[in-house]
Amino acid sequence: MKSDPRPPVGEEPAEGPPPFLKTWPRLYALVLGELALCIVLFYIFTRAFA
Amino acid sequence: MSIIDWIVLTTTLVAIVVYGVWKGRGSHDMQGYLLAGREMRWTTITLSIMATQASAITFLSTPGQAYADGMRFVQFYLGLPLAMVILSATAVPIYHRLKVFTAYEYLESRFDLKTRALAAFLFLIQRGLACGFTIFAPSLVLSVLFGWNIYITNLVIGILVIIYTTSGGTRAVSWTQFQQMLVITGGMVGAFLVILYLLPDTVSFTDAFTVAGRLGRLNAIDFSFDLSNRYNIWSGLIGGFFLALSYFGTDQSQVQRYLTGKSVTHSRMGLLANGMVKVPMQFFILLIGAMVFVFYLFVAPPLFFNPVVMEKVQQGPLAPEYSALQEEYQSAFMERRVAIEMMLMHEETGNTALAQRAEERMHRANDRITRYRQAATDIIRDTDPGADTNDVNYIFLTFVIHFLPVGLVGLVIAAIFSASMSSTSSELNALASTTVVDIIHRLTGRRGTDRQQVRLSRVVTVFWGGLAILFAQYANRMGTLVEAINILGSLFYGTILGIFLVAFYLKRVRGAAAFYAAIVAEVAVLACFLFTDISFLWYNVVGCAVVIGLSLPVNALLQRAGR
Repeated sequence: MKSDPRPPVGEEPAEGPPPFLKTWPRLYALVLGELALCIVLFYIFTRAFA
Repeated sequence: MSIIDWIVLTTTLVAIVVYGVWKGRGSHDMQGYLLAGREMRWTTITLSIMATQASAITFLSTPGQAYADGMRFVQFYLGLPLAMVILSATAVPIYHRLKVFTAYEYLESRFDLKTRALAAFLFLIQRGLACGFTIFAPSLVLSVLFGWNIYITNLVIGILVIIYTTSGGTRAVSWTQFQQMLVITGGMVGAFLVILYLLPDTVSFTDAFTVAGRLGRLNAIDFSFDLSNRYNIWSGLIGGFFLALSYFGTDQSQVQRYLTGKSVTHSRMGLLANGMVKVPMQFFILLIGAMVFVFYLFVAPPLFFNPVVMEKVQQGPLAPEYSALQEEYQSAFMERRVAIEMMLMHEETGNTALAQRAEERMHRANDRITRYRQAATDIIRDTDPGADTNDVNYIFLTFVIHFLPVGLVGLVIAAIFSASMSSTSSELNALASTTVVDIIHRLTGRRGTDRQQVRLSRVVTVFWGGLAILFAQYANRMGTLVEAINILGSLFYGTILGIFLVAFYLKRVRGAAAFYAAIVAEVAVLACFLFTDISFLWYNVVGCAVVIGLSLPVNALLQRAGR
């Protein structure tokens, strides 16, 4: 079969909700919140043992 | 290595290769071969992304970096979660909607063929050379410490990767990376637990942290702003963000990992989970290095960790000076050890004045040790001006070989092989995809049958694999070139990212404007490299900012000129 194996371009991709927290903005907030928490904990860690 | 370690190592590697070949069977068309049929779940994608980024040198060098310089390197990764969020929200839906095989295909649909060809070409140059280095770097360390033949080590790593990457394509790469990450995690956690077990009975967990912190090894966060300081929170959040955005959003070796997702949801989740796990993981690896440092506060470490270089010095004309330095080093080590034990004892009994005095003694002895290590590198350089005076990559493995129990040594070496193979397989897979899709198919206009396309992809994978092995075999004789290749990567990432960001967000800008802005940006980055002390992480910001900042006015000028 001679073909480009891809489905037609331009179809909207299947974009469901995330498996938890229901919406993507909430999941993004979770990732950024964890980053902020890491920075705070690393700072406390640095100060505590300096 | 003992026979048990050899059994652990060979069993693990053979199992991974067999598993990869078995899981990769049935890839009969391009979608199956290059994108694993777009059927991967997010958990596999996450591990695949992490395994691609974490090369063997990550696991060899990162603990050594914490030993020598503390944990501040963790800040390098702080921009990564931000980049994962941006890419999940913007790039992933675009790539899925266009059903692309490579990131560079998108550039043609958005701009023109020359911009696509430029980006694909830069990727092939960078990754083609870097792939050889991914094989060579761990081979060098293993061959130095175990006395293995470096050429055979290169060949073993390269051929094992070529077997399963060629036979099973992306599906084999992703599934083996799942296994490889398990081996890597097992090896590193095992090593960490043994380090804690090996600390003297009188040194508690808190004592270990206290000593490491006071000797500057737990410096995870630094808020000072300094453009020439490679690792602080600002270079990590801003420079690291742009680097991660570029690497995960435009480098085919990563883009291909999440293009295998069965839906936008799975691709996004793969990236976001990576964003959540990566920073704590790097912190943990650095903590291993900090604990190795604590271990070596009580057991005398070698003055220099690369035994081959050390042997050369001991047989050279400066051997007497080196021996004298070693004696001074031993005496400083003993002084520091006694001071630490006194400090901990007085702190436990609440005698603050004596504890403080012991701490001052510890710092003085530690300063002497730092000076002696510096003097040792001076002697090494005087003996052999071309010698590698950086022993950071050898610290962790020296500890592993001499102090880990039988069996765990084999597992850690298997983890290092796994890390090298996982990165190399992604690189070969991406190089083959870009060569076939963006260069051969696009320029010849001929595709052939599914079977022919897959056969061509396999041939190209073997070609790049052979080239990578060849480069790895010669890398030993091209020390400065290897360094140049690493710099080369950081010189182009910002500009490529700028092109992609303009494509994603500045809809008015056309191909010619983006192309010319990219050329000016590249000149600006080269000027930073040649004429300033700016740390390389900032090159990504400069390149990207210039492309974005110039593309709009250039676009307006070109439109006014009627082009």
